[in-house]
Amino acid sequence: MPDRSHTRPPRAADLGAFAPIALAALVLALVPLWAGDSRSMMTVVTTGLTFASYAVAFNLIFGATGQLFLCVGALAGIGGFGSVIISDRLGLPFLVTMPMAALLSGLFGAALSWVAVRRSLDTIFTGIVTLAFALSFQSFVLGRPELTGGENGLQVAGGADTLLRQPVEPYYVFLGLLVVFLVVYRVIQRSHVGWAFRALRDDDAAASLAGIDVARYRILAGWIGSMMLGLTGALFAHYRGFVGDTTYAFGSVDVRVLVMLAFGGIGTLLGPVLGAAVFTVMDELLVDQAQVRELIYGVITVILFLSFRQGAVPALTNAVRRLVGADQPPPREASSADTGIG
Amino acid sequence: MVAVLIDGLVLGLQFGMLGVGLTLVYGLGGVVNLAHGQMAVVAAMVAARLMDRGTATALAVAAGILSVVALGVVIDRTLMQPVYRERSEHRVLLGLLLMLGVGFIIDGVLEWRYPIEALSLRITGGPVEVFGVAIRRGSIVASAVIGVVGLALILFFRYTTFGRATRSVIEDEEGARLCGINPGAVRTVIFGLSGGLAGIVAMTQAMTSPVVSTAGVGLTIFALIVAVVGGLGSTSGAFLAGIILGLVNTLSAFYIGTFVSSIILLLAAASTILLRPEGLLRRA
Repeated sequence: MPDRSHTRPPRAADLGAFAPIALAALVLALVPLWAGDSRSMMTVVTTGLTFASYAVAFNLIFGATGQLFLCVGALAGIGGFGSVIISDRLGLPFLVTMPMAALLSGLFGAALSWVAVRRSLDTIFTGIVTLAFALSFQSFVLGRPELTGGENGLQVAGGADTLLRQPVEPYYVFLGLLVVFLVVYRVIQRSHVGWAFRALRDDDAAASLAGIDVARYRILAGWIGSMMLGLTGALFAHYRGFVGDTTYAFGSVDVRVLVMLAFGGIGTLLGPVLGAAVFTVMDELLVDQAQVRELIYGVITVILFLSFRQGAVPALTNAVRRLVGADQPPPREASSADTGIG
Repeated sequence: MVAVLIDGLVLGLQFGMLGVGLTLVYGLGGVVNLAHGQMAVVAAMVAARLMDRGTATALAVAAGILSVVALGVVIDRTLMQPVYRERSEHRVLLGLLLMLGVGFIIDGVLEWRYPIEALSLRITGGPVEVFGVAIRRGSIVASAVIGVVGLALILFFRYTTFGRATRSVIEDEEGARLCGINPGAVRTVIFGLSGGLAGIVAMTQAMTSPVVSTAGVGLTIFALIVAVVGGLGSTSGAFLAGIILGLVNTLSAFYIGTFVSSIILLLAAASTILLRPEGLLRRA
């Protein structure tokens, strides 16, 4: 359900294009004012930001170029486990190993993209090949405990005794990362690469006839998006101080990211952030009803997607207004302004 | 060795039957039923609950299978209607996400109400000697059931009017409509049938090992892989793919180890997609 609202003419004021990001950042920066007293609350919102970053990266791959990567968790996990293993085994500082691991994730993502493009796989087939990759990664994590800790997981030394283990500071580190990702997304959207993305997402045959190198741009999106995933996953590992087999599992990352993005609006700038915010709040509300959480999650998912019938973003904007009501900070205004609707 | 092969074959037939249910629904309506495994588990749980209350086994099994047939029909008539109104990629994506939600709901209900429920159907009698190898009687009954149902399916699609109508909708929905076939009705019946097949798989699995209430996601993933390797929309392809993947899975699990075996299974699936994206049997 890609939205087609990005074909508006470029704005006169270049800075205006980044205003929604600034607004969202401002709102998110205020969150620790009420959550800052509680360490567990800060963990919840920081994890929420992590998922927002995952969703922005996934949006670049799926929303912008239509490649259904069902290995978001695996790519983040390559970054996370990669960085932890390199830093803790070789004694390198985690600031060095995180970009290394992100490059590794990027390599895998670009390779998957390359395969999908070379074999001209459509959405479903790309989804299934990447799902197979994700499940293989999971089996690898469980099957090589001497490297990954298997079911017991790994304690992470890299990042200990830094501000990443403070209660409030990591939130702003993750917020910074998210803002950087959003700016990258926006810059790409506004460049010639963004035009190519939109053209090939809407109709790749036509885009190819118009002289766009579809393969190159798809692989580019897969590569950049996967590096973002790897970097986020690595930062999350050093922040939590622990990585285990469920940290990056398909069920705990991919499903959530997909639902968050679809909820927020596939292919929109702030959709991923909005989706992550709403589902983080919802998770927190349901924390005492752990037994029925999955059930409620399912019911909400079904209701959400049913209300998409007339096309994603308009129905979505209304649905969000109805569902979230008053206690949600205003990124949705920015998001609706951004998509040129409302 | 022969015993391992036969275990693999039984598993493969079950995989194949799961894949067939998934592939039919996808071929007809473009819906990737991500709740397929969960539907199988529903059948098992209904049967298990009834048996706990003292219902006769055969009756409980029939009720379990019928309950997922009904579930399939209801899902098709309600949730899937907006999906069928969409076109191409939008339809696929919406169907996939909705069924993902349905899968959550089923898993959520099972986790909430019946977290430790499990179905086992004990087939009485000792092992049977086949070619000098002792085989569990449950395995034999399970493969016989799936063999018969599979054969019936293939005959059904080849020789009955409704079966032919189904294949014509898979080939070309508009063309079938012009010939006076109602694609909506065909889809509803096949969604129900697909649920029933999932239920049968669950029952045959319960003959060799207990089916637990959390088995749904794993079954869905197997069904998905099998359907894709067999070529989405192809019944005999799904069966063949199921048998091959079942053998690969069991043999590598026996000789190498579980974790490596699931990697091998997934790699086999991925490489089939890459080498023959149209499926094993389909001509390019």
